[in-house]
Amino acid sequence: MEFLTNTHLFGILLSVASFYGIAYFRDKLKVNWLNPLMASIGLIIGILLLLNIPFDHYMKGGSVIHAFLGPVTVVLALPLYRNWKLLVAHKYSILGGISSGVFAAIISVILLGRLFNLNEILERSILAHSVTTPIGIGISDSLGANEGITVLSIMITGIFGVIIAPTLYRLLRIVHPVAKGIGLGTTAHAIGTTKAIEMGEQEGAMSSLAIGVAALTTVLVVIILQFFQWY
Amino acid sequence: MKVFKQLLILLGINFAGELISHYLQLPIPGSITGMILLLVLLLTGVIKEKQIAETADFFLKNMGFFFIPAGVGVMVSYQALEGRYVQTIVAILASTLIVMAVTSLVTQFLIKQREKRNGISD
Repeated sequence: MEFLTNTHLFGILLSVASFYGIAYFRDKLKVNWLNPLMASIGLIIGILLLLNIPFDHYMKGGSVIHAFLGPVTVVLALPLYRNWKLLVAHKYSILGGISSGVFAAIISVILLGRLFNLNEILERSILAHSVTTPIGIGISDSLGANEGITVLSIMITGIFGVIIAPTLYRLLRIVHPVAKGIGLGTTAHAIGTTKAIEMGEQEGAMSSLAIGVAALTTVLVVIILQFFQWY
Repeated sequence: MKVFKQLLILLGINFAGELISHYLQLPIPGSITGMILLLVLLLTGVIKEKQIAETADFFLKNMGFFFIPAGVGVMVSYQALEGRYVQTIVAILASTLIVMAVTSLVTQFLIKQREKRNGISD
């Protein structure tokens, strides 16, 4: 079977088929909670293990898809540009809120990592769990951590963030649309933004703005931490 | 041809970002330098939104697809997770809760402070 699997086509075909197939299944059966990325990862790993196909064969095509993370990161500037006026209008509260969230993420992961006795690789792999995936992968690489674990931690964060947001906002009496949007976008990136859009127009705009700002802030903080060899 | 023109602009900016990061020895990955570069070009009007909109929105809407290979990578590195599955997930969930609480509380607090000072609601 090597002549079929050890090709660029195989990994690309498997990825496209899984992603499309799962999205089709989700829409047809109206199972909205199904995340096509998470499900595709699970399905592909299952197929590779079941048919005993080496990971390297899959990655021949996989690396072609992976190469597009560059332009995917670049286009994150667009939502930031589209909501620039809102950012300028509320700059102090937005930047203050987002930076405190970024610090909370890094400090809580380090403390929880020590508390649960996670090894260093694992701790570094989940450090960027609130960052949008293409930039989270970049941070994970620069820390010498594991991309795969980072992607999964980002997905878990997004899904959990959407689940807890309504209850958490009620308990903490978060009523301002800007605060709701910034909270969702900073914590749960693009997945959280879908929930913010449901809550309202201003919430949605704020959330999509927070994705880029939070990611850039995290990159900056990680660079500073590494520069002074604090982490 | 429109798609190719837009893709050319985006790949060109990505490439310029790589060059800038490399030659200025920035600790930031080239793709992120490219993102900042695109933001600056849009804000200064050098690039108009409509010159990249369709292709950029395609990437934004279907972003998840491009993360599949990185995610599948977990199958060769699950050793790091061995025996710590539950702890790792609990750490992620707890941290998510903390981040959302801190971010929304601080943002709302700062907005209210400002409204009080200015006597207006913004």
